[in-house]
Amino acid sequence: MELMAEIIGKLQNNNYIYDESVDSAITQALLLVLDDLMTKGDDINAAMICSVDGVPWASKIDDDFDQNRFAAMSGALLALSDNIADEAKKGETHNVLIEGANGNIFVLHAATNLLLTVFTMGNSNLGISLAFARQATETITALIENS
Amino acid sequence: MDKIIFTGPVGAGKTTAIGSISETVPVGTDVNCTDESRAIKQKTTVAMDYSYITLEDGMRIHLYGTPGQERFNFMWDILTKGGIGLVILINRDNPSPIEQMDYYLDAFQSFISDTGVVIGITRSGLNDNASLENFQQRLLERNQVFPVFEIDARSSDDVSILIHALMAVLQV
Repeated sequence: MELMAEIIGKLQNNNYIYDESVDSAITQALLLVLDDLMTKGDDINAAMICSVDGVPWASKIDDDFDQNRFAAMSGALLALSDNIADEAKKGETHNVLIEGANGNIFVLHAATNLLLTVFTMGNSNLGISLAFARQATETITALIENS
Repeated sequence: MDKIIFTGPVGAGKTTAIGSISETVPVGTDVNCTDESRAIKQKTTVAMDYSYITLEDGMRIHLYGTPGQERFNFMWDILTKGGIGLVILINRDNPSPIEQMDYYLDAFQSFISDTGVVIGITRSGLNDNASLENFQQRLLERNQVFPVFEIDARSSDDVSILIHALMAVLQV
């Protein structure tokens, strides 16, 4: 628990850096959030949590895919989306949605400096998957802010 | 659309250079650094910088800045598409500035051969890990002749020199 408190402290101070010494504990905590998300959301077949500057923290993605590239792309996409929403005076970005022929991808802010990327299968229920994804971001935020 | 791409490693001054010469409020995608770049700066570009300038003849040039970290190299391909030339910025206070120049010249080799490049050497502190001559010497060893300028990325005049030099290279 001391280690977890240290992690939380680093995150709350908003000056954290991915630290090998806390790697295991924080990854385990975040992987539990991803497990829960994928258990609830039948249509969700992959998900990852990374920092806003594109460093992966925890992922449930097939080894066939490069999680580092997904993390960097998610960071770039969300930052650009924040910018266009702000430029158009649409307020904070709730999520970015990519509707693909074979499934959807959501990218959402999670806590101050993290983001959640969720991948769904084709013909999935977009609304339900997105609702579960939003719940997961609330869990991540609560984990960081209230523990 | 005529667009020029600014690239280079983290902390070279890409966002600053585009901001200093911009005619409008630049589009930026700065977020908090959580990786090793944090030792250099608190914020980092993760998608792109964008702005534009108008040259004396009325020609509008769109300026795009790439993220510095290699993990964002997918943005390099996206941003160079349709570009007319490249500006590479290298901070000579970094530990290996010559190798960094090599890296970016190699990474953008195809784009450079199709268009053109100028190199701006910046500095952020008192370290001095390479002189202008070192960069020029290295280009000679590579059998490449590209303009190299020492610039202050905060100076619109300095950045303007880079852009005008690039436009001259493109007309040759």
